[in-house]
Parts: sequence; structure tokens; C-alpha cells
Amino acid sequence: MDPAEVEFLAEKEIVKIIPNFSLDKIYLIGGDLGPFNPGLPVQVPVWLALNLKQRQKCRILPPQWMDVDKLEEVREMERKEDSFTPPPSPYYMELTKLLLNHASDNIPKADEIRTLVKDIWDTRIAKLRLSADSFISQQEAHAKLDNLTLMEINTTRSFLLGSLNCMFKLRSNMQPGTSTGKGPDY
Amino acid sequence: MPCERKPMRYGHSEGHTDVTFDDTGKFIVTCGSDGDVRIWESLDDDDPRSINVGEKAYSLALKKGKLVTAGSNNTVQIHTFPEGDPDGILTRFTTHATHVAFNHSGSRVAAGSSDFMVKVVEVADSSQQKTLRGHDAPVLSVTFDPKDEFLASASCDGSVVIWKIDEQTKVTSWPVLQKSNDVSTAKSLCRLGWQPKTAKLLAVPVGSKVHLYERDSWEHVSTLSDDMITQPINVVAWSPCGQLLAAGSVGGFLTVWNAESKLCVERQKHEKGYSVCGMAWHPSGRQIAYTDTQGSLGLLDDLPTASSATKTPKAPAVKAANDYDDLFDEDDDRAMDEGLSDTHSPAKRPVAGGDDDDDDDDDHLMPATGRVKNRGSFLDDENSLDTVSLALGQGKYGDDDDDADAGGTVAPPTGPSLPLRPVYEGPLPTPPQKPFQPGSTPAHLTHRFMTWNSVGVVRGYNDDQDNAVDVEFHDTAVHHAMHLTNALGHTLADLSQEAVLLACPATDELASKLQCLHFSSWDANKEWIVDLPAGEDVRALVLGQGWAAVATSARTLRLFTVGGVQKEIFSLPGHVVSMAAHGEQLLVVYHRGTGFDGDQALGVQLLQLGRRKRQVIHGEPLPLSCKAHLAWLGFTAEGTPCYVDSEGVVRMLNRSLGNTWTPVCNTRETCKGKSDHFWVVAVHENPQQLRCIPCKGSRYPPTLPRPAVAILPFKLPLCQTTTEKGQMEEQYWRSTLLQNHYSFLSSSGYEVDDEGQNQNQKEQQELLMKMFALSCKLEREFRCMELAELMTQSVVTLAVRYASRSRRMNLAQRLNELAMEKANQLQEEQEEEQEEVEVQEEEQRTPRSRYGQRESAGGHSSSRPHQAREEEPREEGEDESLEADGESRKRLNPFARGAAASPEKPSPKPMSKEGRVNPFKVQGSGKSPSQSRVSNVLDSMTSVRRPVPLGGPSGKQSKGPVLKPLAPKPKTKMQSTLLQMATSKAANKKAQVNPEPAADRLKQPEVPPPDSPVEDSENKKPRTGFQLWLEENRKSILADSPDLQETDVIKAAMGSFRSLSAEDRLSWTERAKGQSAEAGDPKKRKRVAEAGEGDGEESRAKADENIAKKKKSLDTTAKLSAFAFNKN
Repeated sequence: MDPAEVEFLAEKEIVKIIPNFSLDKIYLIGGDLGPFNPGLPVQVPVWLALNLKQRQKCRILPPQWMDVDKLEEVREMERKEDSFTPPPSPYYMELTKLLLNHASDNIPKADEIRTLVKDIWDTRIAKLRLSADSFISQQEAHAKLDNLTLMEINTTRSFLLGSLNCMFKLRSNMQPGTSTGKGPDY
Repeated sequence: MPCERKPMRYGHSEGHTDVTFDDTGKFIVTCGSDGDVRIWESLDDDDPRSINVGEKAYSLALKKGKLVTAGSNNTVQIHTFPEGDPDGILTRFTTHATHVAFNHSGSRVAAGSSDFMVKVVEVADSSQQKTLRGHDAPVLSVTFDPKDEFLASASCDGSVVIWKIDEQTKVTSWPVLQKSNDVSTAKSLCRLGWQPKTAKLLAVPVGSKVHLYERDSWEHVSTLSDDMITQPINVVAWSPCGQLLAAGSVGGFLTVWNAESKLCVERQKHEKGYSVCGMAWHPSGRQIAYTDTQGSLGLLDDLPTASSATKTPKAPAVKAANDYDDLFDEDDDRAMDEGLSDTHSPAKRPVAGGDDDDDDDDDHLMPATGRVKNRGSFLDDENSLDTVSLALGQGKYGDDDDDADAGGTVAPPTGPSLPLRPVYEGPLPTPPQKPFQPGSTPAHLTHRFMTWNSVGVVRGYNDDQDNAVDVEFHDTAVHHAMHLTNALGHTLADLSQEAVLLACPATDELASKLQCLHFSSWDANKEWIVDLPAGEDVRALVLGQGWAAVATSARTLRLFTVGGVQKEIFSLPGHVVSMAAHGEQLLVVYHRGTGFDGDQALGVQLLQLGRRKRQVIHGEPLPLSCKAHLAWLGFTAEGTPCYVDSEGVVRMLNRSLGNTWTPVCNTRETCKGKSDHFWVVAVHENPQQLRCIPCKGSRYPPTLPRPAVAILPFKLPLCQTTTEKGQMEEQYWRSTLLQNHYSFLSSSGYEVDDEGQNQNQKEQQELLMKMFALSCKLEREFRCMELAELMTQSVVTLAVRYASRSRRMNLAQRLNELAMEKANQLQEEQEEEQEEVEVQEEEQRTPRSRYGQRESAGGHSSSRPHQAREEEPREEGEDESLEADGESRKRLNPFARGAAASPEKPSPKPMSKEGRVNPFKVQGSGKSPSQSRVSNVLDSMTSVRRPVPLGGPSGKQSKGPVLKPLAPKPKTKMQSTLLQMATSKAANKKAQVNPEPAADRLKQPEVPPPDSPVEDSENKKPRTGFQLWLEENRKSILADSPDLQETDVIKAAMGSFRSLSAEDRLSWTERAKGQSAEAGDPKKRKRVAEAGEGDGEESRAKADENIAKKKKSLDTTAKLSAFAFNKN
């Protein structure tokens, strides 16, 4: 799965928009949307929100968690805890990117939010790397990681799997010789 | 007493505070536990300067431009004043300092600390310090001897110590305080006070009293106390003159004594009863600033000066009006300790002054001081009491001079001679609320909403860089957003689909202006400006559809077209509060008078400004919640007037209940916090939505970040909405209320969403049925009946079925009767409607049509519709020539409709082709337009006249006799059917081939002669024997007397039918039964006959519309009687 696909999935998340046009309910496979009344908030998927926004047909209301105070709290939590804390949203990175790239004018303190989310992301990825490292160095058979988002899993998956495969190959070659205690060098 | 207690205001966050005045008295300086020192220019200063001095500030002192603070970082700091620049650290302790004080000259600072030490530091050179050791507990407070010789300090070890500064030795010590182990746990802050100027006395708060010690002898010379003060005194402060001593206590009592006479000259209570922990006199001695442990700052203003306090202590009757405010405000306190806390109860003063007054006297006085209802009687009391206390006073303070004596005893010589101001004790008038634009935020804000409505948002910016107006539309299809520079300084705005209306108040040079941006105009000029006459200010403005209204300070209301043409102008009965418009409706709310006790007295007018202007609501009072003011005024999207008051109650006009106002929602109920509000921007009836902006901690939203609209549901405040019954009742009445707009819309000629209406009605009926079932389950049959009365006829039948299935036969039977009644009512109504329709068809071109409906809907006044109808013929005549063709078609339309219902329209009477034919064929048949016109003129004339009782004589000759018998008919028929129902039920029904003839037969004997044609006209119905007979014999009757009128013919026929033998009649009836199956045949025959008859008669053409009319009513009766039978 590449990031674009994950982003595609994230676009199904619901956000609130304030349309500036009037339209009756629209009936889609995924469910009914609308009706759209000018000035009245309505819930739509992100893909539609962005589309409307690009056509200047609406104003996007940022999700509840996309707020400087709340994100700061999350960041502190994330830094304090060793394990992963629940992310503000299962698609926090993707949504932040999408919304801030397309509708930063509708989101107060967009820059701060971008930084905060990046901080959270960095912290979490660092944790992930760390745990992968200890996972490999301790030669564990399995590990349990909670509260990871799809995007985070995807960033490490390809590399981690590839390297594990590679190590496996190397190890099986020198199986008879060395002990299992030694860390791999790749 | 004329001392004015200003309301408390937020100064610091919760916690210990201190306060002082600067040397000039220009600033109040406070510090608090938030570590800030704030410099207030006055109590009303909304933007005090803040200096941060640390995490917490415990105490401050200010003199000669040096601000000394004791902070939590164990230091005593200096800042320059008023700049607030740090000027170094004066001294340090091992824990934090608790109190700092300047000496009189400002050269030294004394600081007491929690590490048991007191330090005296030279301000100019902080290295010169004197340390006073000797306390065994944290120091509570310090104060300098004004002569700079001694220093007094109080400590938690319970002692108050006098130090000789230079020698750093204890002079004396009094163990008078309660011991504690820390400042925070001490009962009292024990701020000492050394009398300025003379330096004679040292005041020490000891419990709830103040001890005065004399300098040099260090003896306890006297005690100041007040029986109002029951809790420990925290602070004492001498007035700058040195004659008055103020004390503030735990529990918020503020007292001022005259130190010489030891009499209390002023008493106040903290408005919330918080402990006073800081207190300072204004250098002038006229004000006391004080702070409490909650961080608030308060001010006592207009204190008596020392001299006035001694010389003329105010007579009780001389009271400022606003003191009464305090009286009322403090009602609760008074209830607690009747009069104790009341500064203004004069009789109390002597009691307090001579604190050892005997109890008898006290008791004697108490009744007079408690709730004084009558000032007159009170004055009498006072006189009698003066003598008593005068004697007492003299006994006690015999050596005092007269002035002091007078001060202590309510000034016996001056009191009565003072001019008594007439005092008003009744309810107090409420200041009238200011005019406002619905959906706007206060005008003093730099960024504000000038209006927010269903079309868009107008924002006003008025700051340093920019004075502009932003117009934004919710729907960008209306118009793109606009940014206008606001050179004129507009403060009022309204927005509609067509235009933006702005107005500014008059300035010295410029008149008040009205500016309109008519963006929907199709010409190139999109803007116009109008100057109002000098001295007239725009107070409220509103945009309707194609017009604008402006209410001015001269209480006039000016109407303009949206293009700028001046139209009507009229006067309002009071100053305008707000206006709203929707389509052609204008809603004005104004001050009807003065409100009392917090209530507003508002009146409301609703005007219709269409082609036919009129007033729907004639300045009736606008109901508001208790002590509330109007907060929003508008129309629902469907056009029902609606408003919100400051208590958050949304009320809507109920047009079906005589234009009353029904509360439909209370927005406060959905608020989470106490200070949260909903700012209503729009109301919709279908779907039921209250669109509003949630505001946290305020009444209105800020412009940034852009607020989002939330939706609240409606909820009528019915009882017990938690129960199922209550819920359904609420739902039902809400639904009926919000359905009113359908009838209004249709009556004012708008298109109506029939589907929605039907759905609404269906929902209501379902609810009724549910409630019915519920009541049934609860065995409340009477209630069932009551519910059934609200149902439509068809649902009643359902209810009948339900009742009979659940074996409630009694109920079922009653319901059955009800169903019959309903059916008949329906029939009557339809008949009326039909008549009305005719009238209305005529009127359709004008909005007058509303009258008819209004009468039934609003029931407002019955005289108007009549007038309107009387006027019609005249106007009709004028219009006629133009509209003849259209009219004719319209005239015939209802006719056609009737035809649709009963495909063939047989009539017992001969009729010309013209009457019967398809209305569209009228022209096609080659008749000359003039001819049709003539007939149409007549048609309309008669039809219009018909409902008017006066219009009779000039009408058609044939009309009178035909109509009269028609009118009473439904009644008799109804009775007969009912009767028949009852009888037929009671008596066992005869076996009948068809249930229907039974009804006919029963009806037959009772039917008045002209009724027979009614039955005849129904081709679906089987005919009666008489009808058959009549058909057969009509010709012969006509031949006998050719010049008989139609009715006479029937009468004659009736007579001769009666004269037939019984057998004959029976045989006719039998025939009728037989024939009922094939009704077509005889009718055809009849028609032929009619045609034959009608042919030669020219005059018949004129009677046409009569026939038509009759036929219509006949049709309905026919339909309805069919209905009645089906029920069976």
C-alpha cells in the first residue's frame, strides 16, 4: 500500500462544511449527502469537501481535534508515554495534510497545527523505529503495537518486511556457525 | 447616607489582594495572587496597566513614584511608578514577605516576613537595613509611626509589638491576637493603622473590634465596635485627615468610625460577602478602595468628610435615589439580619453609636428599623427616638461638644428641619432598551456583525487601519462578497436578496444618512443615498421585498422603495426597538411605555405592505419573559413573525389563535454553562429548525474565528414532556402550530408545498391516533373522545374501529356519533368554502382574497371582511371590461371541478347550454365576446352580492327565493341524518336490499320542497319516488301554469304528489328503487326534456349562474351524504 492509497481511504472521513450554495439531497452509493443550505453546516466526506472547496463552494470547518490546544496536549502525552497514545484521529496525518494544503484559510493557526502534527508524527515514528530496533535486536518472534495509524504502519512496513526477509536469508546461510545472540548487520 | 457603593469588578484572579492609591489619588493600584500589579485610572477603567512582579504579590506600598511589592520570591522589589520599570530589589528574606509599608515621608520601607523578621530599609540605599527580631511567628503586618520613631508589627504569635526603630528594640507588646502558625491560617490579617498627622493613636484590629492604643503611654484607650461586625476585622485604615477609621472584615463588612466620637458614620456590606483583605483611602478622603479575597476591586464613593461626618450626619430622609437600589439589592441580607446590615436605616445609628444602649430601647427601635414601609410614620418614630437617644448620648458623652453629640444621635436639631425630598417607594422604572438591528452585535465593538440573517452577513470593522463594511452572502449565487469603505460611519445595516441597506447616525455637520446598494438593479446605478431631515436619526432599518423601512428618532417610520422612491410615512406610538421584514410584511417593535422592575413595556405592530396595505397587529403588548428584553426579532423563513428575548425564549405568532404568541423553544435549556447563550440568526418552520450560533460565555459571537451555525429543535414548554403522553402532545401541538404558515401562505397567494402540508397533517393524525390508543389502554374513554374531536373525520372512523376491536362499545358508539357530526360539519364547511371560492374567484386578481380566509383563520374582526365585500362590486365593475374573458373562465372553473367529482351534472332545472358546457367551449362556440361579457358582469355582481345580506334587493329576482331555502337546508338535513342514525340504530333495521334508500326514504318526508332537486341532482343516488313522479309530471304541471317559477313548479308538484293515494306513492317509491341501478336513463330523458324547455327561454341565460351555484352546493351535499352512508 502506498501513501496515496492511504490518503484515498482517509478521504472517506467526514468533515463539516458550510456551503455557499443550495442543493437538495444527493444520493450516492456511499449514502445520502445534504441537503445543502447556504450558511448551514453540513457533514460531507473529505473528498467532497475538498472538491467543493477548490471550486470555492464552501468553507471547511476544521475537525474538533484540529485545534492548537488539543494537539499540544496530545503532543505532550505522546512525548511522555513510552507506548503509543491514541492518535487524535485515525487519519490525523492525512487529514492535516489534505485540509491544510487545500483549505488553510479556513483553519485558524494553520501553521502551528502543521508543526504540532509534524511533531506528533515525528515522535511516533521515532517510537516506531525504536521498537522495531529492539524487536530485531532482541530477536523476538512477535510484538504488539497499539494505537498505530494506517499511515504509520505503511511507512515502516515495506522496509521492515524487506529487511527481515533479508536477515532471514543471511541468518539461514550462516545458521550452523554463529549463535543467535548476535545482532544482524545489514 | 450618601455614600455610594460601586459594584465590584474583577481585578485579579482569586486569592489574596492588596490595594492602595497613589499620592495624587489619580490611580488605584492593586496587586493580587496572579503576581500582577494593576494600575487603574478609575474603577471603570477597562484596560488597567499591568506590571508583573512575580508569581504572587502579597502586599504593595506606593509612595513618591516608588512601588514596593512583597512577592512570593522572598524579595521585596521596587518598581518605578507609574512606568512600572523594575528598580531593583530592596531586600530579601528567607521566606516570602507578608506586608510592606512606607513611612510617612517615603524614605523607608518596613517589611514583615514569614521568617519572623521585620526589616526597615532605606529606599535610597538598600544596604542600610535595620532588622527587628523578636516575633515568634510569621509577621502579619507592619506600620510606621508617622513621626518615624516607632514601628508597630503584628504577628501570628498573637502579639502586637511596638519597636523603637533606631534602637531596634521592643518598646512594648500586647498579646491580644489569636495565635496561629501561618499567615494563611491566621483568622485575621491584622493590618495595623497608625493615626496620621497627630500620630496619637494606633488602631489594632482585635477580633471583631478595633482597639485604639495611645502613643507613648501605650495604653488601650478605647475600643471601636459595631454590632454589625461579627467576624474578625482584617484591615483598618485611617482617613488621610486622621479623624475617620475604616475597617474591613472577614465576611465583607465595611465600617467607618469617627475616632473621636467613636461612632460609626458609615456601614456597607460587600455585595457578595467576601472577606475584605485590602483597603485604602483616597488622598482626598472621599473614597475608599477595597479588595477582597476573590480578587475583586470595589470602591466606596462620596464618603462623608471628617467634618461633615461630625457636623451633619445625614438625616435619614435625605437619600439619593440610587440608594434605594442598594436597599432593594440587599433585600436578602436584610431578611437575614433585619436592618443590621442596612446602612440607611437611620434609627439604627444611635443604637450602634451608643453601643451600650439598654435593650429596651433597642427593642423599641427595632420595629421601626425593620422593613420600613411608610416613611411618614417613620419620621414620627425618629422624632420620638431622638429625644431618647439624645438623653442617652448626653449621659454617656457628657463632655463631648454639641457637634459630636449630634453626630452620635441623628442630629436632633437638624434632622427635622432638613428639607424632605418626596420619596418614591414603588416599583422602579426600567431603563428602556436601546434600539438594535436583529442579528447584530453591540456597536462599541471594533469588529462586529452589523447584521447576520438568512441571506448573508454584514460585518463592520472600525479600527485604526480600516473603517470598512464587509458584505458576504451565504449563497454566493445571490451576489459575490463586497468590501466597502465605510466613510460615512454606518452603524446599521440590513441585507436582503436585492440590496444592502446601511445607515449612519447624524454628526455635527452631517445629517443622518441612509445608503442603499441595490445590487440586483438592472440599470447601471446600483446605489442611492438619502439624507434624513435635521434632527432625525435612523434608529432601525429593514429591507423587505422591493421596499425598505426606516424608523427614526422622531418616532416616524419612513417607507422607501428599494430603488429609492419615498413612499408612505407614518408615526410610531413610541421609540422603535427593532424591526423585521419578510416579503410584504413589516414587524415593528417599539416602547409602549415605561416598564417597571426590570420589565420592558414593548408594543408590536405587524403591517402588510402589499398592494393592499393594512395592519394585522395593532400595537399590542409584546409578551416577554420576566425582566427580559428583546434580543432578536424576525420572521421564520415561511413568514411567521418570531422573536427571542434575553432569557432565550423563542416565541412565534400563532395566527390560528387570534394572533397570540406561543413560546416554541427555550435556548437556555440547551446551554451547557450558565453564561453560555445562543445567538439566534434564523428560524425555519419546515423543517423545524432554530438556527443559532452557540456563544461560550457571552451573548454574542466574535467575528473571528468565524462562528458556525448550530441547529436547535423546537420544543413547546408543555407539561410532563418526559412521559409518552406529554411527548406526543407536545409533538402534536408543535406540528399544528408550525403548520399555520401553510394557510397563511396560501391565503397571501404564495405557492404552498401541498405535499409537505399533507405529510404534516398525516403526522398529526397519526399522533392523535397514537394518543388515542394510549388513552384507550389507560381506560380513559372520555379522554379518547376529546382526542377524537381533534381528529379528522376519516381518522375518527379508524378510531371507531380501534375502539370496537378493543371491545369498548360505549366508546365506539359515541365515536360513531362524533363521526357523523364531523361528516356534517365537513359538508357545511365545504359548502361555505364553495361559496367563498366563488367570491374569491372574483377577487383573485387582488390580494383582497385574504379577507375571507382571514376571517376563518384569524377570527380577527368580522366587520372588515364585510366592508371589503361591499366594496367589491364597484371595483369589479371597473376591472370587468379588461378581465371579462379571464373572469368567465375563472368563474366556471369551480364548476368544472364540481363536474370532475360527479362526471355528469344532471340538474332538475332546465338550463341553457351555456351553463352546462365546458368553460373552454364558451368562446369556441362562436358567441360574441360582448355577450359573454354581459353575462359575466351579471354573474360577478350576483355572486359577489350573495354573501352580503344588504345586497339583496338589487339582485336577480330568481335569486332570492332560490337561495333562501338553500341556506337552512344543511341544518335540517344534518339533524335528520343524525336522527336517522340514532333511530335506525335503535330500532332494528329492516332488511333492505340497499342501505342507501333507507336514508332517502327517511329523509323524504322531512325534506322541504326545494330540497327535492337536491336529491335529483345526484345521478349516483337512487331517486325517490317523488322525483320520478315529478319527472313524469313536470310537463303537465308546466302546461297547467306556464308562468310558474322553478321553485313554484316544484311546490306545486309536491302538492299534487301528496294528494296521490298512498298506493300510488308506494308504487313510485318501488319504481325508484328499481331504477336506482340504472340512473343514467331517466336522466338522459330528463335532459332532453330540459333542453326542450330551456330552448325558448331567453331569460334563462340570466339564471344560469344561479343554477351553477345551486348545483355546486348540491354536489357537495351529494358527496357528503354519500359519505355519511359509507360510514354506516
